Amino acid sequence: MRHGGLLRFAGWAVIGLFLAVSAPARADGLVQADVLYNGYYQSVLGDCSGCHTKAGGALLAGGDPIETPFGTIVPPNITPDVETGIGRWSLEDFRGAMHRGIGRGGKRLYPAMPYPYYALMPQRDVDALWTWLQTVPPVSNAVEANLLPFPFNEREAMAGWNEINFRPGPFQRDPDRSDQWNRGAYLVRGPGHCAACHSPKNVTGGDVADRYLQGALLQGWFAPEITGDAWRGLGGWSEEEIVAYLATGTSGRAVASGPMREVIEASTSKMKNDDLRAIATYLKSLAGSDGARPTPVAADNPRMVAGGAVYRDNCAACHGTDGDGARNLIPALAGSAAVQQEMTDTLARVVIEGVQGASSDKAPTAPAMPALGWRLSDAEVADVLTYIRNSWGNAAAEVEARSVEDVRAKLK
Amino acid sequence: MLGSASFAALSLKPQAHGATVSGALPWKAFSADPPEPVPEGQRLFFTEAEAELLSAIADRIVPADELSVSASEAGCVTFIDAQLMGSYGSASRLYMNGPFEKGLATQGYQGSQTPAERYRAGLAAIAAHVEAQTPGKAFAAWSADEQDALLKELEADKVTLPDGVDGQAFFELMLKNVMEGFFADPVYGGNRDMAGWKMVGFPGARYDYRPFVGQHNQPYPFDPMSIMGNADWVRKGG
Repeated sequence: MRHGGLLRFAGWAVIGLFLAVSAPARADGLVQADVLYNGYYQSVLGDCSGCHTKAGGALLAGGDPIETPFGTIVPPNITPDVETGIGRWSLEDFRGAMHRGIGRGGKRLYPAMPYPYYALMPQRDVDALWTWLQTVPPVSNAVEANLLPFPFNEREAMAGWNEINFRPGPFQRDPDRSDQWNRGAYLVRGPGHCAACHSPKNVTGGDVADRYLQGALLQGWFAPEITGDAWRGLGGWSEEEIVAYLATGTSGRAVASGPMREVIEASTSKMKNDDLRAIATYLKSLAGSDGARPTPVAADNPRMVAGGAVYRDNCAACHGTDGDGARNLIPALAGSAAVQQEMTDTLARVVIEGVQGASSDKAPTAPAMPALGWRLSDAEVADVLTYIRNSWGNAAAEVEARSVEDVRAKLK
Repeated sequence: MLGSASFAALSLKPQAHGATVSGALPWKAFSADPPEPVPEGQRLFFTEAEAELLSAIADRIVPADELSVSASEAGCVTFIDAQLMGSYGSASRLYMNGPFEKGLATQGYQGSQTPAERYRAGLAAIAAHVEAQTPGKAFAAWSADEQDALLKELEADKVTLPDGVDGQAFFELMLKNVMEGFFADPVYGGNRDMAGWKMVGFPGARYDYRPFVGQHNQPYPFDPMSIMGNADWVRKGG
């Protein structure tokens, strides 16, 4: 068995290098390093740890609660722990969860687990992910995943949900498009599950197909439109800027924060550059909302006058009198699609409670904005948002104090 | 600001208690240590008579004239009242155990009383001194010249106040606190409508003057601004 032992040793060395995982592999026989690496990379593409790892917690040992419009769901422990993780699952169970939303013992999963997107993943990649999951250190952590109220706590109801919202895979190539575009479409629609946050939802919580990636509100954040639309989407971004944003957390002019910060730190900053470029190509090709850019609110409007004073005294030192920010550190507001979105929940939120940008290996600073809610009234927040949405060439609807009040109430 | 209690814990325990920071800088939502705004006219510490006496004294230090409103109109007594109710008044951040020796002039007050105790005793001593001089006629009813004369004597250490109160030291305390009230941020109760800042042309709690750095010999165009903002932030109509 000397030969096998050597190979095994070499395999472990490679696994150690790639994954820095110390627990013994549980798969039988020799595990190919490339399979393991592919499995690890699938976990990056799918951002498993984004939901299944608590902030500062053990890898995949269960995540922070997710507030949905239907109630609270807690992402379960998916380490190989036998009692509290998925140690008893078989590969078949795992395929069922990833491709059909049906877990071990025929138990239906809630689509907070993005199986409608993972369904596009080839079985080869799902299997590799399964193999890699066996190398994650088992952690004993019992999670009560289903905190939903009746009737949503009835998992069988998800059969009906699937009838309405679920189109099984696999991914269908568009032969008229480039390989790069198709790769991007696969990553965005499939494992990246971008629409889970960025697409508006119907009453059942499924994606609204004809408003694909046009922006949506969830968990108190408005995930902006990420189509190629020139006003509210990525039309004003170059592919290089999108790649830089996903790889580092900043495009130079924009800085990621909120839930996207977590996506970048756990997932996109670890993706291959070619994959990020493919994502950029695909997103910029999407037509988007094509919303007609309104006429900006006049500069002498009382809201703009008051908002301009609030901006000058609270914001201009960092974001600049001309709204140009500071490259890689402070987001530019002039020309920013993010500040011209349909809903202003994110904007009000970051002014009230502050926010910290993403930290990646290539841009580790994680610049932060201080909370200003203690000294700005709802009307002052509304007016300064109206001001930044309608200055320097920006144009978007006025913000009402009432909507700021709603955001503030939810934050407390 | 490191509280004295936590500082003591750090210095007495053998192991370090500092947090280790790696990766991104630590950050928390809502992280701020905002001041508690003092409402106009609030009076928690002084009795009515004390407030009346201190107002009369403060209004000789900063009288109403062509430069500004008076100290009391600017809220200086409200400011001092609020300060005496807080950590300043109780000297909670100062070493307050003995020995108590009369220090050098440069060392300031070295006695055992907190500022709150000094005001209580000091105002009582001045009121008693005034009562002895003009029975039934309070300091506030004196003419401005009579008031100035007594204050000048206090400042020059020429008055012996009852109960061993050091009149000169107490006058200096009031002088310092009135000025603080006149020029501190309005959020603390004094400097009402930024009267003190408008008088000297101070632009307030602003932190970015880059657009004006190159504009030499031109007046700064904006009204001063408190920590809590100013009237420009409020929507006019619409």
